[in-house]
Amino acid sequence: MKQLINITVNGNEYEVAVKATMTLLDLLRDELKLTGTKKGCELGDCGACTVIMDGLAVNSCLVLAVEAAGKKVETIEGLADGAKLHPIQRAFIEKGAIQCGYCTPGMIMRTKNIFDQNPNPTKQEIQAELSGNLCRCTGYTKIIEAVETARDYLNGVEPPVLEFMPQKSAIDLSVVGRRLPKIDSPDKATGRAVYTDDISLPNMIYGKLLLSNVAHAKIISIDTSKAKALPGVKVVLTGADVPDIRWGTSPPRYDETILAKDKVRFVGDVVAAVAAIDEETCYRALELIKVEYEELPAVFDPMEAMADGAPRLFDHKYENNINTHVDHHFGDIDKGFAEADHIREHRFVGNRTYQNPMEPHCSIAEWDRNGRVTLHTSTQVVHYVHHQISHILGVPLGDIRVIMTNCGGGFGAKAATTTIEVMSIFLSRIAGCAVKMRFSREEMYLFGRGRHKQYIDLKIGVKKDGTITAVKQKAVLEGGAYSSFGIVSTYYAGSMLTTLYKFPNYKYDGFRVNTNLPPCGAFRGHGCPHPRFAFESLLTMIADDLGMDSIDIRMKNAMTPEYRTCNDLDIHSCEFSACMEEVRKKSRWDEKKGKLPPGRGIGIGCGGFVSGAGYPIYRSKFPHSSATIKVVEDGTRAILFIGDADIGQGSDTVLSMAACEAMGISYDRISVVSADSDLTPIGFGAYSSRVTLMGGNASKMAGEEIKKQVLATAAEMMKVDADRLDAKENKIFMKDDPSISIPWEEAGFGHFSKKGPLLGKGHYSPPEGLGGTYKGAAVGTSPAYSFSATVCEVEVDMETGKVKVLNFWDAHDCGTAVNPMLVEGQAEGAVLMGMSEVLFENEVFDKKGKIVNADLHNYLIATTADMPEIHSAIVDSYEPNGPYGAKEVGEGATLPILGAIANAVADAIGTRVFELPITPQRVLEAIQKKNLTP
Amino acid sequence: MYLPDFNFHQPDTVQKALDLLEENPDAALMAGGTDLLVEMKKGLRLHGNIVSLAKIPEMKLITQDEKNLYIGACSTHSEVIASSLVGEIAPALVEATTKIGSEQVRNTGTIGGNICTAASCCDTAPILLAMHAFVEIANAGNKRMLPLSEFFTFNKKTILGKGDLVIRFIIPKPESGTGACYEKFGLREAGSISVVSVAVSVKISDGIISDACIVIGAVAPTPKISEQATNMLKGKNVQELAEGMPLLEEVGDAAVRDSIPIGDIRGGAQYRRDVLKVMTKRAIVRAIGNTEIGN
Repeated sequence: MKQLINITVNGNEYEVAVKATMTLLDLLRDELKLTGTKKGCELGDCGACTVIMDGLAVNSCLVLAVEAAGKKVETIEGLADGAKLHPIQRAFIEKGAIQCGYCTPGMIMRTKNIFDQNPNPTKQEIQAELSGNLCRCTGYTKIIEAVETARDYLNGVEPPVLEFMPQKSAIDLSVVGRRLPKIDSPDKATGRAVYTDDISLPNMIYGKLLLSNVAHAKIISIDTSKAKALPGVKVVLTGADVPDIRWGTSPPRYDETILAKDKVRFVGDVVAAVAAIDEETCYRALELIKVEYEELPAVFDPMEAMADGAPRLFDHKYENNINTHVDHHFGDIDKGFAEADHIREHRFVGNRTYQNPMEPHCSIAEWDRNGRVTLHTSTQVVHYVHHQISHILGVPLGDIRVIMTNCGGGFGAKAATTTIEVMSIFLSRIAGCAVKMRFSREEMYLFGRGRHKQYIDLKIGVKKDGTITAVKQKAVLEGGAYSSFGIVSTYYAGSMLTTLYKFPNYKYDGFRVNTNLPPCGAFRGHGCPHPRFAFESLLTMIADDLGMDSIDIRMKNAMTPEYRTCNDLDIHSCEFSACMEEVRKKSRWDEKKGKLPPGRGIGIGCGGFVSGAGYPIYRSKFPHSSATIKVVEDGTRAILFIGDADIGQGSDTVLSMAACEAMGISYDRISVVSADSDLTPIGFGAYSSRVTLMGGNASKMAGEEIKKQVLATAAEMMKVDADRLDAKENKIFMKDDPSISIPWEEAGFGHFSKKGPLLGKGHYSPPEGLGGTYKGAAVGTSPAYSFSATVCEVEVDMETGKVKVLNFWDAHDCGTAVNPMLVEGQAEGAVLMGMSEVLFENEVFDKKGKIVNADLHNYLIATTADMPEIHSAIVDSYEPNGPYGAKEVGEGATLPILGAIANAVADAIGTRVFELPITPQRVLEAIQKKNLTP
Repeated sequence: MYLPDFNFHQPDTVQKALDLLEENPDAALMAGGTDLLVEMKKGLRLHGNIVSLAKIPEMKLITQDEKNLYIGACSTHSEVIASSLVGEIAPALVEATTKIGSEQVRNTGTIGGNICTAASCCDTAPILLAMHAFVEIANAGNKRMLPLSEFFTFNKKTILGKGDLVIRFIIPKPESGTGACYEKFGLREAGSISVVSVAVSVKISDGIISDACIVIGAVAPTPKISEQATNMLKGKNVQELAEGMPLLEEVGDAAVRDSIPIGDIRGGAQYRRDVLKVMTKRAIVRAIGNTEIGN
């Protein structure tokens, strides 16, 4: 029964009938259509739904609407004064504090409330007070900076001006290389940005999935009759109702069914789907579906799963549950170790971590009466979703439209097609109306696709002077029930060890093993962070053995430009040594190393990544990125249409900047439409750190095509040869006398008037024939590679084992930083996420294979209170294959962190932890073990 | 995720709340809702009726008389922290309360809810126990008071029976020479559940510990007073309890002997024992230090 309540929201009085069970969050979002307040975890752990109620910040997901009766509520929508932004919003935009934007409304409202109570908080107070608002993108550094800036604005104090020197490669550029605010940040700062769950279509209903509650079982029967009879239920589907086809991520390993056919393979496997008038009815219907299982023995440990006689997940493939086996040998491993003066080997164990983007996955499907389906979805990869849906439905791409809305972070969790994308389409087709499906936080963990847990046996041989002669790695990846990206993850785990240090002899054995757990996939750094953690740890151990400095041994072996690795990867630009020199200097390494008191430690780690995979996920001749630009009729604005996806990392901004530079217009004259398969040309999306380089090249090419046409028209107007003209900063001018010029828009207008639409198009594919010819040679190829180095300083409580990270000094070779502020944002975010993974994160399962920490209460991620000081630097570099010399930073910046922390902790405690996460318990046990050893 | 249907009641007096409890035997009491709503959303609890206590003014009072400090059970954590009375009389309770959840949680969660949820890792119980707090419980027709030390029976279990309602907490004012503190060990700097917690109160007369209480949290089914450690402390010279002194080690070991920790995702049983010893030692040293401030 509903009751009538009165509530004041942003000064407006509302009279609303609500059910007792409705939360304030749902009242705001569903009834009042104030969708700026976000739903992140629904359990009071993330702070995304923070609003101010009677002067106090609250999690609106844990306040009943009936309890808010008579109260005054402030939300993000009420903060700005009409069109005039609040100083907090301004500061968040200016300082680059917004990436995916999903935490932003809650973060800003919490900030407002901090200032309500204390107009002049210190940085430490801000860090403590904001700790209930989680962010997964920014590393918090720029958020804290923005809050301090807002505090200064509000107190009438001029915030300190940042000194900024452009990189050498950007000195002559007018847009690229500048610290410009993100193009989408004003919308995200005001709650206007629309995410999939904010969309409500007319006559839309909801869908939910029935997930297996057993880890491994035959399905004997499914009885849906009671669910179908429940009032409000529109559709109930089981495996019998959907096509019997296999789908997945990598074509050689399509092994997922649309709905379970005869068997379930993990707790969370999808058994049935329901559509009903609201989510609550869906949940009630799910409870009424009776599934009879015959439980089968399950296996959760990859070593046990590989053993002869272990339960098999697939009867007819993946013998011994080995889903992928890689056997690579480059050079001569025996000769390499024979040449070594010193050899060391050790086992390292990674952790099973989950991306936890702040926005839960959400999809809305709707079929029109011509039989064409439109899917709104929170994805990183519009094209791969498009392709996969086409495969599943057996219809051409033209019958499907995929629209990416604003995406609240991905990190790999949204890098492939999801079960709700698929099922919303099936449910909607039968229901005849739009169907919205979303994951709860728990369902996100159950869908999985997080980082594989890896068991790594690593062996390195070196000469007396530290020169590496041979590297041997065996990696066992715990894969979960299905393949997902796993085949690629397994290759990456091996192939990317070769890009940082030169060594001629390398052997890699990789095994990806199926277990009855949620499938693992691609998580920032895809397959590489754990091997890199092992390598950086072992290299420091070897340096210590030799009495060599940890940075010196790295410099000795460091990659140089224009080098072909032993596994046939072609390195072009490389300023790896400059990165190490930078962090050595900035961290005052030489003054600290070996000289810190017990419990304090310093360590180095290095990393790097591909700037986009050299080959697509499925065989295709399509350009990897493409762009079109349309100049508005009067020449005053260009619209960039780009297929690649801005998941918060800032690609809309960066690609716009590349296009502006190419056209010769300023950044305030461009708008962008991205990732809508009807409007934008194909782009493979945001994975493998590919967008800056590939989307950037496509955007630049489209911009150049525009410029060529504009210059031709201008030449006619100015009665000079076009090759004597150039365009920059909204002017078209004579190269030999820039004082002779006409406004860019006049030429643009002139072009349209005489020749019709002013359009440009661009596309990019990596150079043909990248990499070697052996099996698996494609994985690891890229047009360009990033490099980075990080020094970490920690303090360890020697009695409890608790690690406090004090500082990171990180330096990045990302080529030309198209937007240094965004590069820093990526680096800081990667640093903090990496730290969080190393210190806190691990998925834990009970004996029956059910995850026990599928929330943000028991699966901890770092808060503002945990953040160290992060001192990021960008070194001078120019990548010939990149747009204006640019390459990636988003994933490469994660890779040094694991080893850097491990090495710093080892330096602090005098012994080492070989398994992630480096928990206080593991640290204390290592200290205790060392103390027992005479 | 959704909340299963319930009838919602929002009485404005204790008596009305008690009446509602009598009329609706399956009713759950809700203070801030930060635990209850989470458990209901997760499907761990189902109630046909919810009786909210948020609108009962007398349950939010924080007062004092000559002997005691009184904290209404529905005082939010933020109200406890902001109260100058609590700050003056029980600063260690303020310290413990600031370590709960996030500001958003502290703005809605209450001290009564924290105690009645009765998690062994709860942050307010150890210090309330160390300060010899009492709990006042109302039932239809009567009110009773009992020491908080008799309140917890097991993890998430209390002596509360049908129709019982915790009204307020009564904290005897510390005598002069008393100091207290709360040490929490969590895995993250904020918003984390205690892996181990220790609260200590000591009274010092002429350099001797004349009274003490050591409470250990998250290492047994309930927060509990470590009798062995407490007894070992009494009558000792504070100089024997300075950092690094052997007696401190022994008291730490005694606290460990009184613990019966389990291993879970936050830490193994032996690890909890190790940390318990460390936290006990640190808490004692700090509590002694806090007496000087009090004096």
